[in-house]
Amino acid sequence: MNTTSGSCPNFSMRLETASMLFHKAVDAVQQGQIPKRNLIWLELTGCAGNIISLLNGEDPDFKGLISQMVHYLYDNSLMAAEGEFAMDQLFDALDSDYILAVEGAVSTKDEGLYTIIGRWKGRPITAYEVIQTFGERAAHVIAVGTCASDGGISAARPNPAQCVGIQNLLNRKVIKLPGCPCHPDWFMGTLAYTLLFGEPELDARQRPLMFYSTLIHDLCPRRPCFDRGVFATQLGEDTCMFKLGCRGPVTRVDCPIRKWNDRVNWPIGDDGPCIGCAMFGFPDKMEPFVRFDTT
Amino acid sequence: MIINPVTRISGFMEIDADIEDNVVADARTEGLLFRGFENMLEGRSPFDAVYFTQRICGICSSAHALASTMALENAMSIAPSQQGRYLRDLIHGCEFLQNHIRHFYQYTAPDFIRLPESNALFATDHNDFRLPKEKNDRIVQHYFDSLAYSRSAHEMLAILGGKAPHNHGIFVGGVTAPATPEKITRFRALLLEIRTFICSKMIPDAYTIADYYKEYFANGRGYGNFLTFGCFNAYHKLGTLYVDPVTNRDGKITPLNPGEITETIYTSWYTAETETYTPYETITQPELEKDDGYSWVKAPRYRGLPYEVGPLARMWLSGAYRHGISTMDRTIARVLEAKKITDVMLTLLNNLIPCVSMQKKYQIPESGRGAGLVDTTRGALGHWVKIENKVISLYQIITPSGWNLSTRSRDLLPGPGEKAMIGATVINPDVPVELGRIIRSFDPCVSCATHVYSKGNLIRTMQVVP
Repeated sequence: MNTTSGSCPNFSMRLETASMLFHKAVDAVQQGQIPKRNLIWLELTGCAGNIISLLNGEDPDFKGLISQMVHYLYDNSLMAAEGEFAMDQLFDALDSDYILAVEGAVSTKDEGLYTIIGRWKGRPITAYEVIQTFGERAAHVIAVGTCASDGGISAARPNPAQCVGIQNLLNRKVIKLPGCPCHPDWFMGTLAYTLLFGEPELDARQRPLMFYSTLIHDLCPRRPCFDRGVFATQLGEDTCMFKLGCRGPVTRVDCPIRKWNDRVNWPIGDDGPCIGCAMFGFPDKMEPFVRFDTT
Repeated sequence: MIINPVTRISGFMEIDADIEDNVVADARTEGLLFRGFENMLEGRSPFDAVYFTQRICGICSSAHALASTMALENAMSIAPSQQGRYLRDLIHGCEFLQNHIRHFYQYTAPDFIRLPESNALFATDHNDFRLPKEKNDRIVQHYFDSLAYSRSAHEMLAILGGKAPHNHGIFVGGVTAPATPEKITRFRALLLEIRTFICSKMIPDAYTIADYYKEYFANGRGYGNFLTFGCFNAYHKLGTLYVDPVTNRDGKITPLNPGEITETIYTSWYTAETETYTPYETITQPELEKDDGYSWVKAPRYRGLPYEVGPLARMWLSGAYRHGISTMDRTIARVLEAKKITDVMLTLLNNLIPCVSMQKKYQIPESGRGAGLVDTTRGALGHWVKIENKVISLYQIITPSGWNLSTRSRDLLPGPGEKAMIGATVINPDVPVELGRIIRSFDPCVSCATHVYSKGNLIRTMQVVP
């Protein structure tokens, strides 16, 4: 189940990246070398799958994040407060130093009225308003998942809510962590690096090179099948799924070595094609996800 | 009185309640998130619906994968193998465990136990925490311990489904990958650990909370109408391991007739050829200027009436739990159901035959239609698909939270969630902690319920943000 590439030091070291950075950041906080900074997590127009994915992180895990690495101030899914009191917690942080993590796209239709994240001082606060208010003032902005990064499924044609990625609405640089959902390591590693050293090195699409520098196809354990022209004709076969529509050849992220959920499996390991969920243009430019008519 | 955001749910929601003399006279639940999945699906390849619809919801994506797969199989006249059903139901079972553990500890418990307020995430504006310190602290410890078990449930899901959330395993015919003995062994080990946690921690914790909040057995009743599409049922050899598709009204349990499911838009801001329609008939068009409209949430009905769905409905209908119908009974039914699901999963696991392949090279029909109805973590989920010229021509989704958070039809009967709040006593109307507790007992998922809805009534009245 979890045997691929285990012997390559390059790969095995990269599996430690998130954990190593997290523990370095926690040590630095504890020793007073860096401050314990505020983190605000905004859910906008999406499925809340990225916060669920974050809870799936093992090392580092969610408890370590909120108790050791940052002051976690606001999150719609997990905070104990509700209503106006919850919104006060958010707006009280506006003038402080904070890092902003955002999941979900932003609906722009009808002045943003298609996503309202709460009511503050009697007024509905749209995703459209809150991203601009909090995005411009944040020390760093991290787009978590494909919707926040590039619109994702929320912006799928005909894009009924007129969704866009958060960069479209901000006059500042956003760090993008696409993936549907975002892997907990990608977020934790990026956040820890940012706390320690500032913004990590990014590629042309603003993705951290430490997680997004390799093509799935180049590291795929089924690459030898592709090279020899051995292609699966139906799902459930353990050969190359290129002809079934696999998007590994265009998708740049480290799934083949990092895998998912305590590294137990990943989509191609489950005999299903990669659907390019971490790519710009997902889903429209990545479809059809599965096809049986390629000759 | 308005509560917005209702936190610790999936998605965004507002409760508008009229409170008179400390009693809720009327209450409305409104979803605040619009994306429009049904419009998006038109014209796409039918196979893509399986992975596409999972993105409706990050906490219950496997449910959509399953309903969508069943709808496609129905449309393509494909019968999944029994081994295929066992495997995908095991994947679905993992989602139940993940959801129920997270809903109880991360979403429900903070209403009743005081989490360490040194952490900003756990600050509250009320003081109605009644557990003695020792018991409170034990549940706080379990709040954090539980993270490892809900994570394990997703790890199990990934063993058979590739990853979670948004798995690649559930597909037409069963699942994509055959189960190997190694996978089955690891899956079983994790399942037994989770089962121990549920039995020794989660169930006792629910009863501990119940002991100190006894009045929650007397509020949040709702109608007492229950409906289930059935789940973990009608296997060829194993029969029904949990519950068949049945309904309960006035204490009478009868088989479900899916032909009597309708949606109505009388108080919703939509137009359609008819105000009430069956799922295959129509996709509604938005219409803001509608006199009787107060929300974009539609009103699913069975035989013209609102029905509650979810763990309490299933436990009641299957005869496994008949203690009562209330806020607290919903929470207790959910934790007891989690144990029940582990029993079902162990049975399925014991009947797996390793390494059985179940996939074929499928052809999309020129045209066809199909329905996928299945009970999921939050209740009855239906997907209806029509295919024309080998692409999706109509896709209709009615979610569990659509039933529970439904709005009113021409008879003006409130939806089940609204009904559960009406009549409840609110001790301090400035801090109506009761309402959040009642509505959370339904485990609302507004990402699901409002995939086609929005907070429409605000468009005419609210101040537009510059």
